[in-house]
Amino acid sequence: MSEDRNDVASGPVGIDDEALDWVIQMAEPQADWDAYLAWLEADPTRAERYDRAASALQDAAIAVARLPVSPPATAAHPDTADAGGDPTGWTRRRWLGGAVAAALVGAIGLGVWTGRSDPYIVATAAGEQRTVDLGDGSSIVLAGASEVRLDHKAPRVAAVERGEALFRVRHDPGRPFDVRVGDLALTDLGTVFDVQRLGRRTRVSVAEGAVMVDPDGAALRLDPGQAVIADGAVLERQSIDAVDVGGWRDGRLAYDDATLAEVAEDLSRQLAMRIATAPSVAGRKFRGTLEIGSLRNDPTLLGELLGVSVRRTGGGWMLEPRR
Amino acid sequence: MPPTGLEAVYLANRDKLVRFLRARGADDAAEDLVHDLWLRVSGQMAGPVGNPLAYLFRAADMLMIDRYRSRRQAERREQAWEETRAGDAASGEPEAERLVAVRQEAAQVERMLRALGPRKEAIFRRARIDGVPQRRIAEELGISISTVESDLRAACRALAQLKEDIR
Repeated sequence: MSEDRNDVASGPVGIDDEALDWVIQMAEPQADWDAYLAWLEADPTRAERYDRAASALQDAAIAVARLPVSPPATAAHPDTADAGGDPTGWTRRRWLGGAVAAALVGAIGLGVWTGRSDPYIVATAAGEQRTVDLGDGSSIVLAGASEVRLDHKAPRVAAVERGEALFRVRHDPGRPFDVRVGDLALTDLGTVFDVQRLGRRTRVSVAEGAVMVDPDGAALRLDPGQAVIADGAVLERQSIDAVDVGGWRDGRLAYDDATLAEVAEDLSRQLAMRIATAPSVAGRKFRGTLEIGSLRNDPTLLGELLGVSVRRTGGGWMLEPRR
Repeated sequence: MPPTGLEAVYLANRDKLVRFLRARGADDAAEDLVHDLWLRVSGQMAGPVGNPLAYLFRAADMLMIDRYRSRRQAERREQAWEETRAGDAASGEPEAERLVAVRQEAAQVERMLRALGPRKEAIFRRARIDGVPQRRIAEELGISISTVESDLRAACRALAQLKEDIR
């Protein structure tokens, strides 16, 4: 079915159905490795066609694994869903769990058992700051109530699990530094940059050097004074003041159209106080800089700064609409 | 210590594995790679393997896919850097608008899943994400293995092609 494609192998040909069929076949327990070997040896271009198909399929599986199981119609109307001879409710529910585990065929398989990984976690309490020295001249400063996952065996890889972290990365042309934040990937080349998780959004701000956001997708390049907010599938670029990046280490918190809910979450982390927002003000936007020092002494100052009223509650403070 | 089951099978089939790696495009690196493969497999063995030879072949196959992917990724990164650099210099205005929604690729995949329908999606997830054999999927769903086979093929084609087109 694909004999004619050999002579266009250099161009961007589509996925080869024959190669893709082999990829599907070879994942099965009774896969015939001799037949596969014979197929490969009969034509030297087949190996690459197979790789291309396997790789595209892996990308597809990764993309699908990130999506919730569709369709919502099934959950609402279990009896009417699935136009074509469909699974029953119970199997569907089981899959919801199974898909989360996402033992991606092939993709993760090798990674797991090459497994020379030695992960560890560094976490801070609210109000605390801590510097992690990565040994090659690179370091990470963690804000309060934050967590990063690192790997002794892979010192140029980090994942920000929650909170905020300032990265200071030593440039090494052969070994980019890779950071994961949720499902967002960052790669940098010798840089000082800040990663902040706020609610479901992630903000990446660059002070020095350059960062590539989502290098295999959007490939959005950030230079000093630039930031991006990643919110689900959307990346939004922002301009910032480069000197504000990592300002939290000196007690300065800069916001650019953050919601009050996000500001409250961030303040709770930095101040080690519980600060909550009433629903009616949670979505309001704030732009400006807050000084942690003075707020620590007197949280009611937030009222003036954020245009709300501040009420003392059992364990902390509540930001409410002014009356 | 005498060779364990897997090691004996490895030693007996080492030449064939080299031949396989070569056919998979490893060329002169095949000898080094087979050694690499053994280090990885032996260091990571959790328990007895049902079919050691198939296990070794599958590991070798995945090793080559991994190599292909990291090569491709390096090329794409390189290209992306070049392009954004050139773009910034030429226009002065970053490609902000273009990029705002690039990640909406997820939406395309979602649309495709919807077009394929819930059964094909379920089969794809079960086979390609959870790694469940087709025969078992057929049992779980109470449908014939040939239906699973053709559904899976259709879903794989559509989704792999979509990913290929996007990049």
